Amino acid sequence: MEKRMLSIKPLFLLITANLLGMLIVIMNKDIQSENIVYLCALMCLINVIAYLVINLCALGDGYLFIIISMLSSIGIIMQTRINSDNGIRQMMLYLAGVFCYFITIIVYKVFHKYWNRLTLVYFGVSILSFILTALLGAVKNGSKNWIIIGGISIQPSEFIRILFVLSLAAVLTNGKFKKNKDQVEDKKMKRLRLGIVAIIAYINAFCLLLQREWGIAVLFFAIYLSYLFIYGDSKLFFSANIFAALSAGFIGVKFMSHIQVRVSTWLDPFADATGKGYQILQSMFAISAGGFAGSGIGHGAPYFIPIVSSDFIFSAICEEMGVLGGIAVLLLYFVLVYRGFKIALSSTNDFNKAVSIGLSVMLGVQTFIIVGGVVKLIPLTGITLPFISYGGSSMITTFIALGILQAISSMKGEVTDEIE
Amino acid sequence: MKLNKKIITVMSVVCSLFLVTVIYLTYFMLFEAKEISNSTYNQRIWAKEEKVLRGNIFDRNGVVLAESEQTEGRQKRKYPFGKLYAHTIGYNNRTYGKTNLELNFNDYLLKTESVIDVLKRDDSDKSLDKGANLELTFEHEMTKLASSLMEGSNGSVVAINPKTGEVYCMYSNPTFDPNEENLLKNWDELSAREDSAFVSRATQGRYAPGSTFKIVTAATAIESGFGNFSLTDSGSVKIGGHIFNNAGKKSYGNITMHEAIKYSSNVFFTSISQEFSKKSFEYMAKEFHITKKIPFDLDVKWSELDFDAMDNVEIASTAIGQGKLQLTPLNMALVSCAVANNGSIMKPYIVNRAYHEKGNTIYKAKPSVLSSPIKMNTAQQIKEYMISCVKGGTGTRAQVGGITVAGKTGTAENEKKGKTHAWFIGFAPAENPQIAICVMKEYSGSGGGSVCAPIASKIISHAYKTGLISAN
Repeated sequence: MEKRMLSIKPLFLLITANLLGMLIVIMNKDIQSENIVYLCALMCLINVIAYLVINLCALGDGYLFIIISMLSSIGIIMQTRINSDNGIRQMMLYLAGVFCYFITIIVYKVFHKYWNRLTLVYFGVSILSFILTALLGAVKNGSKNWIIIGGISIQPSEFIRILFVLSLAAVLTNGKFKKNKDQVEDKKMKRLRLGIVAIIAYINAFCLLLQREWGIAVLFFAIYLSYLFIYGDSKLFFSANIFAALSAGFIGVKFMSHIQVRVSTWLDPFADATGKGYQILQSMFAISAGGFAGSGIGHGAPYFIPIVSSDFIFSAICEEMGVLGGIAVLLLYFVLVYRGFKIALSSTNDFNKAVSIGLSVMLGVQTFIIVGGVVKLIPLTGITLPFISYGGSSMITTFIALGILQAISSMKGEVTDEIE
Repeated sequence: MKLNKKIITVMSVVCSLFLVTVIYLTYFMLFEAKEISNSTYNQRIWAKEEKVLRGNIFDRNGVVLAESEQTEGRQKRKYPFGKLYAHTIGYNNRTYGKTNLELNFNDYLLKTESVIDVLKRDDSDKSLDKGANLELTFEHEMTKLASSLMEGSNGSVVAINPKTGEVYCMYSNPTFDPNEENLLKNWDELSAREDSAFVSRATQGRYAPGSTFKIVTAATAIESGFGNFSLTDSGSVKIGGHIFNNAGKKSYGNITMHEAIKYSSNVFFTSISQEFSKKSFEYMAKEFHITKKIPFDLDVKWSELDFDAMDNVEIASTAIGQGKLQLTPLNMALVSCAVANNGSIMKPYIVNRAYHEKGNTIYKAKPSVLSSPIKMNTAQQIKEYMISCVKGGTGTRAQVGGITVAGKTGTAENEKKGKTHAWFIGFAPAENPQIAICVMKEYSGSGGGSVCAPIASKIISHAYKTGLISAN
């Protein structure tokens, strides 16, 4: 195992950013609650401990956690600035997320032999939760995608993202398909494999469309296409899928009023500035108001933007930290996605490789869909900004996803392909 | 390994999504943000404005043209002279947003003193933060006079200092009262009006210039070497199968450019337009900013004209200001400025400076040359002709006792038969021009010499009496 030089510098930067950011927010908002101070201290402590544990116990990639924490801190600072109660909850979610992160690392490493055999479980649980949401679901922000269990509302579609990646990766790399003696699968088997992948992907996408989760449906399709591109050989099949997606999109724009609204407000938000275009216009106004340097935390007016704490949090960041701040946040995601792909490239286990590809694409495309949406680069679809948007399901899921990446990065060289 | 290569491709695609977003954000901030944030739907503007008392606007002598008052926690914008400045200062209210200077200089009107200035301030001063005041180049009395002279007819009066580009007066009729309560009351009626009172004729209205455009044609001819051109004017001429007549089919006999401008001969200018090249005509139109945007404190319209595509008849029509060519009164005022200022047009401006009441000037207009379409000699030559036009030609009614006025009249046919536009452009005093003027009455049905020249005369005389200009 390689020896790692422990660098304190990134940790130092993270802690400094945390303390300064929270100090500004607390002073500006004149927050009296002592809990925030304690939680902030606890957060910094957890930052230090987790960073040291990952680096000293050689738990793989040393940068993932520090980037995630930086993003979460920016999220917490913004959430506290918008609503201090939400900020406290977001801090606790962060702590819970870190806990899940480490549990995931341990569980994934301990049971690493079994993960690629559970396709049916992944798929079954996904379908089950779709059905449960349809039967018991509550409606929030126009989408019926919440289940309330024991007073806690959960968004199953957030968790399904990980199951989706795992199920596709399992089908694509499952050893059972390599039955012939040269260990080289024949064409027929490969086709069967891609066929199953396609079926799983389309069923998932269909269920999401029924729930009106456009954003996540697009995200799933992007993951599916990436897999097709990497693991499939047939250009025809790949093009056919793109064509299917395009025609589905076209039909959606032509015949489904919700999608029409999204596209038309994207093209001309001023056409119905006080109605359908209101959200996106408020977002544009916020970004414009911030300029390159931003108004400063606490000096903007993010409360003009609807659902600012979840979908539109990036606009608030741009307003108060400036477009330069927004770009810095994008670069953090960029580095995170890059690390994810790097883990995929260096992974020696087929299944792990496939999983890390899926998770990296998920993280990258999800960020693009929501950021591109709120800055009016693409039509807006409601989806959360990983680690920053307010919301438990999203926070915990992304921590688990990144926990899996962290676990895979630590398994490099240890686990090679095992053939049954 | 083939698999890894494909992974790298996917990675590049995903990463380029980030790149695209970053580029778009930068582009948005640089080119779109300003316009979008000026939308009336943007509550942020008003949220910010509640905290700052909007700056006042004064004329060159300190007369208040727009002021903000704080009453019961709310601000109110007042325009003491109502309709006089609706097309230039514009309006600012929550219902209809901002226009004109109120829009274009919004940032200055809301710009508070810097932190250092505030620290220097006396502790006892607890007034609301105040935005910067604007000092305009307008002369209020002249605008008032222009308004009374234009009473009852639609059109525009523009007066500019040709040496500096300061706009003394810019008034358009019909106009409206920009005070919020009156705007609310009259909005529907104003919007329904057919003669569009919201359009500032001086900068946004485009009209056939008629004979006033002969100044540009003359300039092109002289610069192309046809300054000594002469012909026998028999009252009409046939060009490309089309017959061009002088007004009243008058024949002037053997004439040079001097008489042609003095009496406004169509025969002379349609004929001379066939001598010089289309290219030089096109070049001149561009240099006079007729086919090119005029950078100005207000939004302006300009014309797009394809000289290459014109046949001889169209060139001839354009040479006497008929045909497809349409331009704004500001355009014609600048033509007059070029002749007055030895061939150079100074960039026109309305806002002289923005300043804090107790502090520094934060914006100051600097006179600068906009373009130099003609040489000094050409300008001198045309000036002589314009002097004799007022002395004994079509523009005699523009004369002012005590000073020499130079000018050119115009009567432009248009789509409404018999309802010609009347024009006058000119400057004074001819020996040392300090004011250049353009008066236009749309669809008046009368000649520029009879309805516009007298207005110009009164404006120039006012400027002379009040000491704005001196006799030499």
